Amino acid sequence: MVKRSEKAKTMRKLIKAIWIFNWFNSCGFAELVPLVGSRWDMERFGMIIVGTPRHADVLFIAGYQTLKSIKRAKRVYEQMAEPRVVIALGSCTMTGGMYWDSYNTIKRLEDYLPVNLYIPGCPPRPEAVFEACEKIFEHVKELK
Amino acid sequence: MDTKETELLDKIKSKFKVDGRIQRERRIWILTDENKLMEMCNWLKECGFIHLSAISVTDWLEDGKYELTYHLWSYDDKILITVKTKIDREKPTISSVTPIWKESAQIHERELHELFGVKFEGNSDLSPLFLEDWEGAPPFRKDFDWREYVREKFYDKENEREKVYYD
Repeated sequence: MVKRSEKAKTMRKLIKAIWIFNWFNSCGFAELVPLVGSRWDMERFGMIIVGTPRHADVLFIAGYQTLKSIKRAKRVYEQMAEPRVVIALGSCTMTGGMYWDSYNTIKRLEDYLPVNLYIPGCPPRPEAVFEACEKIFEHVKELK
Repeated sequence: MDTKETELLDKIKSKFKVDGRIQRERRIWILTDENKLMEMCNWLKECGFIHLSAISVTDWLEDGKYELTYHLWSYDDKILITVKTKIDREKPTISSVTPIWKESAQIHERELHELFGVKFEGNSDLSPLFLEDWEGAPPFRKDFDWREYVREKFYDKENEREKVYYD
């Protein structure tokens, strides 16, 4: 059991659900589909995927980001309302992963976007994604 | 044996004086000069080769040549013709086949312009496709050292985390 502070408990009561906007390249989407499906079913925690970044609290970034796609990711981030959280999923997103020597992928995501949480793995386990989202609730007061 | 393939190949050989061979059933290779290419492509399209499935470039670094390969398919004859032509590697210029195959040629030529720097004369849109703000040499050229480029552009030797990339 995670021990929560009083503040976090209050925030937990106020904030019921987090809405997610996905920015997935390459295998990113395919590897996180289990999250949506019935086995892990993220909707039981109130996590749903929204159609526009303007409705989203959390931006999921997965898969390698190319120089072209990261520009669009920035545009997506800019459209999100505050407080907003960026979660990077998987090694390709964080460091380029197996594309570390590609001329066309970015190597440090933090150079482009303010990342709140990194979830390593190739791909990350669904449980790890849930834990990351739980951490958002823990730190929600610190967020702008 | 007088098959469709041999018949067609003989016709092309006598008409354009080019080299060619039957690779196997329903596959024909033609090696041609750059200056005969347009005329031949026009003729082939009239013969029913309406489908341009791909254009590709091979980089022959030692010979100083780019080899362009056009894959043409005929729905009537069920034959795939591969037209190959070599152009100079340093000044890679060739006339575009967009007047013949329109959009299907357009996107291939645009990509090859981006990746190999081949200039297709007559193609109206050769703007970058995937590589926005690209400054280096065309990345698919064999003498482009992409690993060096990546170290230069993305990594920092002083960074503890990225030191390994310099070993």
